[in-house]
Amino acid sequence: MSKSEKKKKESILLRLGNSQVWKSIIRSGVPRDRRGRMLSVLNSVFLHLHPVRMPKHAVKLKYTWCMGGLSFYIFLVLTITGILLMFYYRPTIEYAYTDMIDLREQVPLGIMREIHRWGAHLMVITVWLHMFRVFMTGSYKSPREFNWVVGVMLLTLTLLLSFTGYLLPWDQLAIWAITVGTNMARATPFLGHEGPGAALLSIGDINLVHAGSDVRFALLGGRFVGEAALLRFYVLHCIGLPFIIVIFMAVHFWRIRKDGGISTPL
Amino acid sequence: MDLIKSVINTLASPTILFTLIIVTFFFIFPLNDWFYRWNKRLKLDSFWTNRGGIKMFIILLVFFAFGLFDENFRLIVLKPDNVPIVGLIFLVAFFTWLSMKQAVDNDVHIENNENVNEYSDPDDKVLTWPDLVYIELIALVLCTVLLIVWSIGLQAPLEEPANPTLSPNPAKAPWYFLGLQEMLVYFDPWIAGVLFPSLMIVGLMAIPYLDTNKKGVGYYSFKQRMMAVSLYMFGWLVLWVLLIIIGTFLRGPNWNFFGPFEYWDLHKLQPLTNINLSEYVYIIWFSTGMPDNILLREIWGILLILGYFLILPPLFAKTWLKNLYNRLGNFRYSVFIILILFALSMPIKMYLRWMVNLKYIVAIPEYFFNI
Amino acid sequence: MDDQKHLEHEQNKPEDAERSTENPEEMKQSEENSTEMKIAEKKEIEPKKPEVPKKKLEKGPTKKRASIGKGSILVEPIKRRSFFSWLTLAWVAFTAATGTFFGMMLRFMFPNVLFEPKQTFKAGYPDDYTIGEVTTSLKEKYGVWIIRDTEHIYALSVVCTHLGCTPNWLQNERKFKCPCHGSGFRKSGINFEGPAPRPLERYKIVLADDGQILIDKTKKFAYEKGQWSDSESYLVV
Ligand code: HEM
Ligand code: FES
Repeated sequence: MSKSEKKKKESILLRLGNSQVWKSIIRSGVPRDRRGRMLSVLNSVFLHLHPVRMPKHAVKLKYTWCMGGLSFYIFLVLTITGILLMFYYRPTIEYAYTDMIDLREQVPLGIMREIHRWGAHLMVITVWLHMFRVFMTGSYKSPREFNWVVGVMLLTLTLLLSFTGYLLPWDQLAIWAITVGTNMARATPFLGHEGPGAALLSIGDINLVHAGSDVRFALLGGRFVGEAALLRFYVLHCIGLPFIIVIFMAVHFWRIRKDGGISTPL
Repeated sequence: MDLIKSVINTLASPTILFTLIIVTFFFIFPLNDWFYRWNKRLKLDSFWTNRGGIKMFIILLVFFAFGLFDENFRLIVLKPDNVPIVGLIFLVAFFTWLSMKQAVDNDVHIENNENVNEYSDPDDKVLTWPDLVYIELIALVLCTVLLIVWSIGLQAPLEEPANPTLSPNPAKAPWYFLGLQEMLVYFDPWIAGVLFPSLMIVGLMAIPYLDTNKKGVGYYSFKQRMMAVSLYMFGWLVLWVLLIIIGTFLRGPNWNFFGPFEYWDLHKLQPLTNINLSEYVYIIWFSTGMPDNILLREIWGILLILGYFLILPPLFAKTWLKNLYNRLGNFRYSVFIILILFALSMPIKMYLRWMVNLKYIVAIPEYFFNI
Repeated sequence: MDDQKHLEHEQNKPEDAERSTENPEEMKQSEENSTEMKIAEKKEIEPKKPEVPKKKLEKGPTKKRASIGKGSILVEPIKRRSFFSWLTLAWVAFTAATGTFFGMMLRFMFPNVLFEPKQTFKAGYPDDYTIGEVTTSLKEKYGVWIIRDTEHIYALSVVCTHLGCTPNWLQNERKFKCPCHGSGFRKSGINFEGPAPRPLERYKIVLADDGQILIDKTKKFAYEKGQWSDSESYLVV
C-alpha cells in the first residue's frame, strides 16, 4: 500500500468520524487521546456506569474476577434468549411440553433453549462467586453495607427466577421439583395450611387457613401444580421477577458508584 | 481398582465424610489463634501456593478421570443437569484457592508493614477506556463462547411429560436447592423449607452489620479477619456446596445414600425407623408409656430447645467467646450467636439422626409443630 | 464517614422537630408568629386580596426556620391541635388506602372458581375389591388407593404427607414407599419410616344409591386428629 493510498484511507475514516451523522451519535468521535477516552466513557449511557478513572487494582481480573459484570451480561443474554423463546412457547398444559420439543426439532438453530437453560445455571454460579469475592475482599464493610444487602436480594431473585423457569418445560423433572418446592410453602408458620400455628387461626370450626387460602395457593392458583400454576409461574418468570430484579440491579450499580467505586485499600 | 472404589464408597458415606470434613475444616481455615498455630505447624497453608493449587487441581482431575471409567459414576456425573455441578466443583476450588493465595500473600506484606498488593498510588489511576472496557469485552466474548460451546455440546434435558401421579425416583429439586432438600430429610418442612432459607437470607444480609472489624477492606486478607472468613467458608463450602454435592451425586432412589461408584439399586434396603425424643424418654427410659397431655409429653424436648437457645449464648459470652462478646456488644452478639446456633443445629440434627435415629426433638404433629 | 453523619442527621430530624414544638418557649414563639401574621394580614388585606395566601405561607416559617435551623415543616404556624389531627387523618387515610390496595392485589390472587378436575367419583362395587389387597388401579386417574381389609374399605390419599410426592405400593415389602425422601407407610396409611410427619390421609367414602362406592376427595380424614373413627372415613362391608 503506497503512502498516498494509506493517507486516503485514513482520511475516509477521519471523514466518517467527523461526519454529522457519526458525531450526532458518538459525540467525542474516535477516542485518540486522554481527553477523548474520558469523554467516550462519560458520554455513553452504557459506559458511564463506570467511573472515568479507576485505581489500578480495580481493573485487574485478579481482583474482581469480573464476576459482577459477567452476572449482568448473562442476565442480558437470558433476557434476549428468553424473549426469543416466548415467540414459540405457550404456557398451557396442552402445549407446553410439545412446544419444548418443537423448539428443539422444528426451529432453525435450535439451541436457544440450551443457551437459556445453561445460561441460567451459569448465572447462579457467577452470582455466587461474585458474592464470594465481595466477601473475601471485605467489600461489604462500611460504607458498602447496604449494597451487600441489595446484593443478597439479587441473589435471592436470581434463584427465584431459576426456580420459576424450572416448571415451564412441564416435564417430570419440572412438576416434581415444583411440587416439592411449593409444598414447603404449605408448611409456612401461620400462612400455610400445614404450618405450625395455622390451626390456631380459626373461627369456631372454620379454619381460616386451609388448602384454598394459604400462601401455596396464592403461588399456584390452585391446590396442586396444574394449569393455573403454570400460568402464574410463566408470568412471574417472564415479567414479574425480571421487572423486580432490574430495579434492584439499578440500585446496585448506582450504589457502587455512590459508595466510592470498587473497594480500595486505604 | 475395585479396592480403591470401595474405599472411596465407604469414605463417601455421610457419617464418615461429614465427620472427616468437620474435623479437618477449622485446621485448614483456622477460627482462632490456636487453630492458626496448628495450621502453620501442619503446613496446611501450603494449599495456597502455586504448587498446592496445581496439586489440588491434579487430584481433582485424576479423581474425575478415574471415575469416568466407572459406569455408575459416569451415569450420574454426565447427566446433563449435573454437568454444571461438576463445573461448580472446579470453579469453587479454583476461586477459593485464588482468593486464599492472594490473602495469604497479603498477610505476609501486612506482617512486614508493607503495602498490600492491591495498593497503588491514589493519584495514579488508569482510564476506564481502554483498561477496563477491553478486559470486560474479552470476558464477555469468552463467556459467550463458553455458553455456545456448552449449548451445542449438551442438549438441555427434557424428560417424560409431566405426570402428577407418578413421582420419578429419586425426585430432585434444582441443584442449587439440593442443600435444602438434604435438610428436609432431617427437619420438618417448615424448618428446612421456610425457616432456614429465611434465616440464610437474613443472616447474609446481617453480615456487614455484625462484622465490626474495620480491617480488610479492599484487599484480600486472611489473618486480620480470620474468624469472619473461616465462618463464611464453613457456611459456604460445607453447609452449602458440600450438601449440594451430596444431594446431587450421593442421593439415589428412595433418597438412599449411594457411594459415587455404587450401583443405584432400587431395592437397596435401609431401615429408617426413627424415634422421637419423647418416645425415648417415656417408652425406653421411663417405660411408662406416653402421657396424654401434649405439653407433658413434649416438655423434655421443649426444655432442651429452650436451653439451647437461652442458656448457651450467655454461657459462651462468659467463657470462650468473651472477647467477641465484648467487641460486639449485647445486641450484635445475640443476633450473631443465634444465627450461629441455627447453623450448628444442621450438623447436630444430622448426627443425632445417624447415631440414635432421632426423628424429632419436639413432636407435636397435631399442630404441625415438629422440631 | 461523611455519609454516616449525614444519615444520623436525617434520622434525628423528625424527633428534633417534634421536640421543638413541644418546647414551651418555641410554642410561645409560634404564637407570636401567628399574631404577627394576623397583623400582617390585616395590613395587607385591603390592597391586594389574592396575594394573601402566598404571604401567609412565606412569612410565618422564615423566622422560625432561623431559630431552629432545620427548616422542618412541622413548625408551620398552624394551631398545633388542628394541625396534628389533619396530619394524622391524612396519614391514616393514606395508610388505609394503601392497605386496601394491597389487600385487593392479594385477594386478586385467589379466584372464586377453580378449574380443577372433579373431586368426587364412583369407584365400582365393594365386591370388586379383594380382601387384604391394595388396589392401585385408580391411582393414575383419581389419585387414591382403595384398600379392603376384613371389615372395612377405605380410600387413602396418594399424596405423601411430607412434601407431596406420590409414594409407590411395594407389593413384596407390603408398604408404601415415597421416592422423594424415603418415607414409608403401612397399608393402613400409618407412617413408620423416613421424614413424613404423619400418616396418609383418608378420603370420605360412602355408598351411593346405586350401590356403588362414592369417593369425595374434598373431605379428608387425618389420623392424628382422631378422624379415622369418623363413620364417613370407611365403609363397612
Ligand atoms: C444479579 C446479580 C448481581 C449482579 C449483576 C451484580 C453486579 C455487580 C457489579 C458489576 C459489580 C462491580 C464490581 C464487580 O464486578 O465485582 C458489583 C459490585 C458489588 N456487588 Fe454485586 N452483583 C450481583 C449480586 C451481588 C450479590 C449476591 C452480592 C452480595 C451478597 C453483591 C454485592 C456487591 C458489592 C458489595 C459490590 C461492591 C464491591 C466493591 O466495591 O468492591 N452483588 N456487583
Ligand atoms: S415427599 Fe414423600 S418423603 Fe418427602
